[in-house]
Amino acid sequence: MTQDAATTSETRNDTSSVSFEIPRTNRGTPARLVTIFGSLGPNGEKGVHYIFDVGDAGYREISLAGDDSLDSIALQAPAAAWSERELHDQYGVKLEGQPDARPLVFHDNWPDGFFPMLGELGEVPWAQRQYHFLQVQGEGVAEVAVGPVHAGIIEPGHFRFSVVGDTILHLELRHFYTHKGTEKLFEGISPLDGTMLAESVSGDNCFAHAVCYCQAVESAHGLDVPSRASALRLIGLELERLVCHISDIGGLCTDVGFGVAAAYATRIKESLLRASAKCCGTRYWRRIAIPGGLRFDFDSAKLAELGAAVASASRDFKEMARLVLETPSIQNRFEAAGILSQEAARDLAVVGPVARASGINLDVRRDHPYAHYGQHRIEVPVTHYGDVMARARIRIAEAEISTRLIGETVTTLTDGGVFTPLTLQGDAQGFAAVESPRGELCYWIEIRRHRITRCHVKSPSFQNWPAMPLAVEGNVIADFPLINKSFNLSYSGCDR
Amino acid sequence: MIGDVIGLSLRQPNHVVPVEVLLGNCDGSRMPLICSENLTPAVAQKIVEVCPTAALELKEYQGQRCLSLSYGRCTGCGRCIDVGGDVVVPAKHMPWRGVAREDITRYWNLDNGREIVGTPPSPAEARGQIHSLLRRALTIRQLDAGSCNGCEVEITALTNPYYDLERFGIHFVASPKHADMLLVTGPVTRNMAEAVQATYEAVPAPKLVVAVGACGCSGGIFRGSYAIVGAVDAVIPVDGYIPGCPPTPAMLLTGILEVLRRCTAK
Repeated sequence: MTQDAATTSETRNDTSSVSFEIPRTNRGTPARLVTIFGSLGPNGEKGVHYIFDVGDAGYREISLAGDDSLDSIALQAPAAAWSERELHDQYGVKLEGQPDARPLVFHDNWPDGFFPMLGELGEVPWAQRQYHFLQVQGEGVAEVAVGPVHAGIIEPGHFRFSVVGDTILHLELRHFYTHKGTEKLFEGISPLDGTMLAESVSGDNCFAHAVCYCQAVESAHGLDVPSRASALRLIGLELERLVCHISDIGGLCTDVGFGVAAAYATRIKESLLRASAKCCGTRYWRRIAIPGGLRFDFDSAKLAELGAAVASASRDFKEMARLVLETPSIQNRFEAAGILSQEAARDLAVVGPVARASGINLDVRRDHPYAHYGQHRIEVPVTHYGDVMARARIRIAEAEISTRLIGETVTTLTDGGVFTPLTLQGDAQGFAAVESPRGELCYWIEIRRHRITRCHVKSPSFQNWPAMPLAVEGNVIADFPLINKSFNLSYSGCDR
Repeated sequence: MIGDVIGLSLRQPNHVVPVEVLLGNCDGSRMPLICSENLTPAVAQKIVEVCPTAALELKEYQGQRCLSLSYGRCTGCGRCIDVGGDVVVPAKHMPWRGVAREDITRYWNLDNGREIVGTPPSPAEARGQIHSLLRRALTIRQLDAGSCNGCEVEITALTNPYYDLERFGIHFVASPKHADMLLVTGPVTRNMAEAVQATYEAVPAPKLVVAVGACGCSGGIFRGSYAIVGAVDAVIPVDGYIPGCPPTPAMLLTGILEVLRRCTAK
């Protein structure tokens, strides 16, 4: 039932020429890059870890020594570009041939040579550096700077547009305004205490983060959670997806000025949050998952009420979504706006609904089943248009599948415990992946002497943000909020 | 078609939650309530030990040995409820006194369990005070200083048909230059510190600042991180605090109205 054993790893310690072949899937295609991150060995030696999805064989980890410089793989696998920049920012690992070596995480007020993951930190002096945006030159090209503080109740981030008239030639992102040093905060705490931090990586997807973190800890300790606990986790994960997708369709309606539909979607969403609060005392399922299972069991009568609320909300949503998509002015705005080509999506190893809307058939729940998903049929809707409409349609289809999964799980739920106590092991490593509402989410955790020494979080937003600028090129700047919403990426999840 | 969507919407029953039900309600927030009549030094010791953010502490206060509970630090993890037996239970009504810094911390004498300083207002009392505000208008600019977006989703919920913030004459504006109040979430990150300062300066005086959530009030679980400058009041002056991780829409609304009441009564 746990997928975690599926990570096969290989370690190379020859320090002469540190480069490697990108693994291939069993179909012979290059494996999808999942994440790259650093770690420190017991004696302070740097390590660099690459994780690839090699298809049926699961996830494959390649670990290299990182004290000497490594060859950048960003030209073969463009998805590596941001990961490599983050790797350098965190650990100071030198990368040869890196196409873009500018700082990613640390802005102008951080000093050069500041690498927070290398040991203890004292007072960090304030500095004044200069970051250079790509300059688009030519007659009539103007720059439009937006953010970090945006108009509305949104997270902060900076967008630098180069435009000719209304048309966007190029968009550069500058994020990490909400960087909170979360990965560093995991270090030194007990694996039993990390769930709260995971829940605060991206608040609207907090349950997916909590479950993924718990699964990583459980895999490190070789622990299977009770069947009832993993079924309840499935309910929470699918409910989170349903809430998120309903909210996204409402958000898309807001961004084209369709206020009635937007308000209707917020009404449906709120009914689900209130049903959650009634069922388990928390609107977003915070503080429910813990390593080993759940903090408490659910009352079956209340669970049935939640199931009924989900069925009713889902009926309302389906009807509303159908009417919205039949509205000509919506079709006019959604269709052909913000096209992300399949090629670009593949190059940048995009995940989640955004990938599925651009023709990439990918879903952790089906490809590497975890929790209770092995016992269910998981359909994966895919379309190749790659525009705002495609992303909307994928979310509407997924909302219906989530509803079915919740219904099936509530009705077939068996009695039993919801918690297996976890006996801490001295040294261990664990990996877990979960299909969060935004796509594949991974946690990699290393434990030494009962304490976390490294916890890497790969959020789907970190993976998908670099693809968004490609989708807005050639569109008018007024369509940018709509296209951005159709990606629905978390700033905090990306910045951590 | 547009007409069909409007028709669908019109067929819906009214979902607005009456103000009497909303004010002071904190259902779904997982905030703890101390039942001081059952409090013993042994239980106090036990719940202090399990608190991950030092919201619960044993300390000297006004010359007495006390259990203190800082709601500004509490993230609602529920561990004190798990080990506290009948001493700690989930709160249904906001268990703190108001929105001032000193209002969101409570102290109980360890020897006799008696509370030091006043107890929170009863829901009826709070309603009476707040009803006097209902003729006002307020514009709010929400500012994310580095939050996890948990507070944002709850602030967004304030505008849905259940809470319908506009019925109180309150609405969100896009520019700080149009705002009376800054609603600031998150610990202030080092990368955001300058933008937070600039946004504050862009709000015309007189201005109100409200720190939202455990992170906004105290830095929350990010306290001590290298990437954090501090809580909101480490960077700009704060007029009111709304605890919670995240605060529910009812808690946000109660807090916003209370800040308004305090500041207009001055």
